[in-house]
Amino acid sequence: MSTTAPTSLDGVAEALASGGRPRAGGTDLTVLHRLGLARGPYVDLGGVAALGGVGWRADGSARIGATTPIAEIAADERLRAAYPALTATAAALATPQVRAAATLGGNLLQRNRCSYLRNPHFSCHQSGGTGCPARTGVHANGVAVDQGPCVAPHPSSLAMALVGYGATAETRARGTLAVADLYGDGSDPTRDHLLPEGEVLLAVDLPVPEPGERAAYRRATARTAAEWPLVEAVARLVVTDGRVRAAGVAAGGVARTPLRLTEVEQALIGRPADAAVLAAAAALAAERCRPLPQTGYKVGLLRDTVRDVLERAAEQG
Amino acid sequence: MKLTVNGAVTGVDADPDEPAVRTLRDGLGLTGTKLVCGTGVCGACTVQVDGVPRASCITPTAALADREITTVEGLGGEHPVQRAFAAHDAMQCGYCTPGFVVEAAAFVDGWRVEHGDTEPSREQIAAAMAGHLCRCGAYQGIYAAIAAACAGRHDEPAEPARVDAAAKVTGAARYTTDVRLPGQLEGVIIRSPHAHARVDAIEANGVPLVDLRPADGVVRYAGQPVAAVAAADHAAATAAAARVEVSYTPLAAVTEFGSALAEGAPLVYDTEESRKSALSSAEGANLPGRWQGNLHTTSGLPLPGGGTAERRIERARRRGDQRLVSAVYTTAVQVHSALEPHASVARFDDAGHLHLYISTQRVSAVADAAAERWKLPREQVHVVAEHVGGGFGAKANLTADAVAAVELARLTGSPVRVVLDRAEELTDGGSRPGSRTELSLLADERGRLAALTVDAQGDGGASTGSSVGLMARLMYGTAPRRIRDSDVLTNLPPGAPFRAPNGPQLAWALEQAVDEMAHRLGEDPISLRRRWDGNPKRRALYETAAALPLWTGRPATGSAAGRFRRGVGVAAGNWLYMASPKTQVELTVERGTVVARSATQDLGTGLRTVIANVVREELGLPADRVRVEIGSSDHVPGPPSIGSRSTTSVGPAAHDAAVRLRTALREGAGTAGREAPVAALLDGADGLRVTGRRARDRGGYLLPFSVADAAIGRGMSGAVHVTEVEVDTLLGSVRVTRVWGGLAIGRVYAQGPARNQAEGAIIQGVGYALFEQRRADPATGVLLTDNLEDYHLPGIGDTPEMEIHFHPDGWEYVTGGGVGLGEVSAVGVAASVGNAVYNATGWRPLDLPIRPDRLLEGINR
Ligand SMILES: Cc1cc2nc3c(=O)[nH]c(=O)nc-3n(C[C@H](O)[C@H](O)[C@H](O)COP(=O)(O)OP(=O)(O)OC[C@H]3O[C@@H](n4cnc5c(N)ncnc54)[C@H](O)[C@@H]3O)c2cc1C
Ligand code: FES
Ligand code: FES
Repeated sequence: MSTTAPTSLDGVAEALASGGRPRAGGTDLTVLHRLGLARGPYVDLGGVAALGGVGWRADGSARIGATTPIAEIAADERLRAAYPALTATAAALATPQVRAAATLGGNLLQRNRCSYLRNPHFSCHQSGGTGCPARTGVHANGVAVDQGPCVAPHPSSLAMALVGYGATAETRARGTLAVADLYGDGSDPTRDHLLPEGEVLLAVDLPVPEPGERAAYRRATARTAAEWPLVEAVARLVVTDGRVRAAGVAAGGVARTPLRLTEVEQALIGRPADAAVLAAAAALAAERCRPLPQTGYKVGLLRDTVRDVLERAAEQG
Repeated sequence: MKLTVNGAVTGVDADPDEPAVRTLRDGLGLTGTKLVCGTGVCGACTVQVDGVPRASCITPTAALADREITTVEGLGGEHPVQRAFAAHDAMQCGYCTPGFVVEAAAFVDGWRVEHGDTEPSREQIAAAMAGHLCRCGAYQGIYAAIAAACAGRHDEPAEPARVDAAAKVTGAARYTTDVRLPGQLEGVIIRSPHAHARVDAIEANGVPLVDLRPADGVVRYAGQPVAAVAAADHAAATAAAARVEVSYTPLAAVTEFGSALAEGAPLVYDTEESRKSALSSAEGANLPGRWQGNLHTTSGLPLPGGGTAERRIERARRRGDQRLVSAVYTTAVQVHSALEPHASVARFDDAGHLHLYISTQRVSAVADAAAERWKLPREQVHVVAEHVGGGFGAKANLTADAVAAVELARLTGSPVRVVLDRAEELTDGGSRPGSRTELSLLADERGRLAALTVDAQGDGGASTGSSVGLMARLMYGTAPRRIRDSDVLTNLPPGAPFRAPNGPQLAWALEQAVDEMAHRLGEDPISLRRRWDGNPKRRALYETAAALPLWTGRPATGSAAGRFRRGVGVAAGNWLYMASPKTQVELTVERGTVVARSATQDLGTGLRTVIANVVREELGLPADRVRVEIGSSDHVPGPPSIGSRSTTSVGPAAHDAAVRLRTALREGAGTAGREAPVAALLDGADGLRVTGRRARDRGGYLLPFSVADAAIGRGMSGAVHVTEVEVDTLLGSVRVTRVWGGLAIGRVYAQGPARNQAEGAIIQGVGYALFEQRRADPATGVLLTDNLEDYHLPGIGDTPEMEIHFHPDGWEYVTGGGVGLGEVSAVGVAASVGNAVYNATGWRPLDLPIRPDRLLEGINR
């Protein structure tokens, strides 16, 4: 069997049933294929119209098809008004070429960027081996919340933003589940998401937008662009009469899974959105950290990245 | 499968899962699209898919079906962006240019539709070009070109800033990686997976194979070449390589600089014999020295006053003298990573001549070396490097790619191409050794330099040859000093000469120490340098620098408050002036055009343009009547593109040739021709040929002899960099916002390319200061930074606003009046960033690169 490009969902299901692997933008898969970390036959999803595009429900909430390009999400005016934390994240990740080709689904289900995983000299939990050479070797970009054998942070920026919204994922066979549940608790070192083989992600559903939501996204990097974040964070706040009424805060680059920082959110809700409250809330993010020998710096960086997005979200409006 | 490319429907036999870049380049021969990183980071492979730029290395070929594909070839050459890139000199080597141009064309077209003919901001341009990297650092020109094209200023053709601009913006420029000869095979190098091992046997299993093992059969780093094989195409060659069985006896390895000198550490070179033939990161021969385990101490000429310097510093240390500045400074290994990897294509013709296409900075020397190695008469070796996609020092020899290609060509009887992939390039393509430098600087009670000691250890993996301390002999007067240079050997890939070898490592230590001394003495760092530095040309630069608003408006050190802190730092650079006295340029009149030839090459420095400019100016000819043909070892002798020698050597030889040609033309034309413009005389002079030479400098050179045609000239070239940074004290990043670069190099032969190169040096220095760091897995010695996602090159958004100032005086005794700038412009940049960070934060960074984690730890300590 070779690469196929079905035009219907049933066609996709059929091709997957005979051992195919979904391919969306191919921006990750093409490299994994070249490195021998992925094998075809591939089932191109681009021809299935039902999988792409943004839809709106009567209650004002959005459904984003899995093959919607990231650039389209970033540029969608209505999405920007309703879910500014999502569009800000989409606009800031990777590069224009990547955003144009890469899709929502591919972003959520991509492989992590551990340099040991992608180097053919090494084998690890993720590539069929039994250990984690990064844990005993170089892991300066690794996790600061040690959840299990693998130390590679989850790569998906959009997953982080969606977790911050409590969004849900629609799958073909398993129905609907929380986006957070695509990833579990990070203790499985063999994979970056928990969807079984042959499963298709259809779309992501967002909750009803919060009127007046303000948002900010930030990644800590050395260079100005096109660099994987050491830490990234996104915050969305609804502030009325100077008090935080609703909050969603999430972080990436620090754990095997995208993290929703509920402890930070709780420390904000009902409180005045002033500098002291924001800083104290951000400081709570550090408490869940269990850094590795080379990632101690991420503890403070997580706290301060969260502080930065909280302050910038609160400043708006 | 059927593809619509550049408006035409073509059938191609392609694997739908292969990256599209392979299909376009290998399948369709559209070699304007370049393959560099293969991971979507650098943008060299960018093509438009239905008008939208896409990185074709991470696009499966299947995704091209039923789409309109536009490659750089399809833009035609008259797109305003192409004209703008040519006019604003938005390129050096040109290897990144097609990718930039294809992206920028879409951006500019879209911008003009949406915003009319207006200029976008720098930030907008940086955001649009975030998916592109230019290792040469031509970003300033790229900004200018895109802004001007958006504003509608390039709807008409304009004069290009360099003569090969048109070839570079259209993808027509042919690099070695683009060479495809009939019947050509693809070669692949088999490399050691072990950091240290004896190679016991190589079982070819029927695959045509050449042995590349080192003479003693021991490999000393992971990635060292062991053998090479060839097959019909890349996939077949990779498969063939997998069939070869190499048996190794692994040996204990040392993979960390910090543990190489420990008791009982495995030895990288353990026999007298192996030490004699140790790999070297230095240009030319191995430096002699003494071995103690993995420590190799270079026996340099002892300096008078060494003992005095040590004693003074020791006494000052004992009395706790505030005027003693003493610290340990370290730098990371920096990888050259030219965007065109090392590449060679070899062919033997029926007469037994070797034709070697190679990405090299030394066509002549490579031809000499090839003749010697394969025992061929020199005139039967033809080395070609038409366009070279960057080199920075690492492409100066008969490297493994060349050896493999030639030997495989001889073995198989077919032409063979060997192109390193990015992982190979970043592993074995050369690097600037890291360093650990203990430096002490003592001032006397009147603030004069009283003593200087330098103990520098090079971190060049399995190579010796580091001499960081060398330049410390040649700066800041004649106060007593003791300099010691050594190498600490490890089982990691070896270094290679890199633009101003050893210069930035020393400057990182010395220029920060001088800055610290100024701080201790309560003196302006520029005025301290003015007092200490005897170089008259650099003193002129200090005058100018001291008056810059950038400098006079700098904050008091440590006075800045708040999250974002601004600081300004200064550093000086010092470099040798070298020339190639045997350089010649030949001019021939061919069908009304003057053709200039020399066995030299243009790796982005603009040498073609230098020659063309000199000849045109002297003869008063329009652009289309001078053509430059370089990049072939068959021409009259020309200089290598190393040691900042090429321009200062070729310029005067071209001038001499032009003068001779005019004389010959006028003589040929008799009395009637005496007053005629040269252009009018060319038509009747077909075949007329003259050769120009570079006359000796007035007063000669520093040494009466020269080795390999490298004459060390009299006088040192100088640079001063004044650099502004903005430090984010919350998240730890440093942005270099403005840089003033003053260069004392005399005459500038080609303004645009010279400025461009000086700017590129700043950008590489910014990378060195903030981002670039080679890292290896300690257990295996395998590099983790063997890709451009993990090895961080500076991007367009990291580009400061730059101003380059050329100080014209001081080189009147040099033939032609100007010296090279490639190296001196690269020496002090990182140190000026370090001093600026200190000025901004009051914390002095001692270790490069200044990563966010280091900065945060430093300022929060
Ligand atoms: C230079 C660079 C920088 C980057 N920086 C960032 C960054 O900062 N943040 C970030 O989040 N990402 C970043 N990325 C990664 C990029 O976002 C991903 O490569 C991209 O999102 C993958 O999307 P795709 O559509 O191309 O996926 P593909 O490569 O097609 O697929 C990826 C995986 O998802 C599976 N898949 C795709 N769609 C479905 C579906 N509908 N159902 C089931 N399985 C599916 C595939 O089988 C495959 O396993 C960067 C990439 C590059 C090259
Ligand atoms: S080669 Fe494709 S992005 Fe670098
Ligand atoms: S000109 Fe950009 S890489 Fe050389």
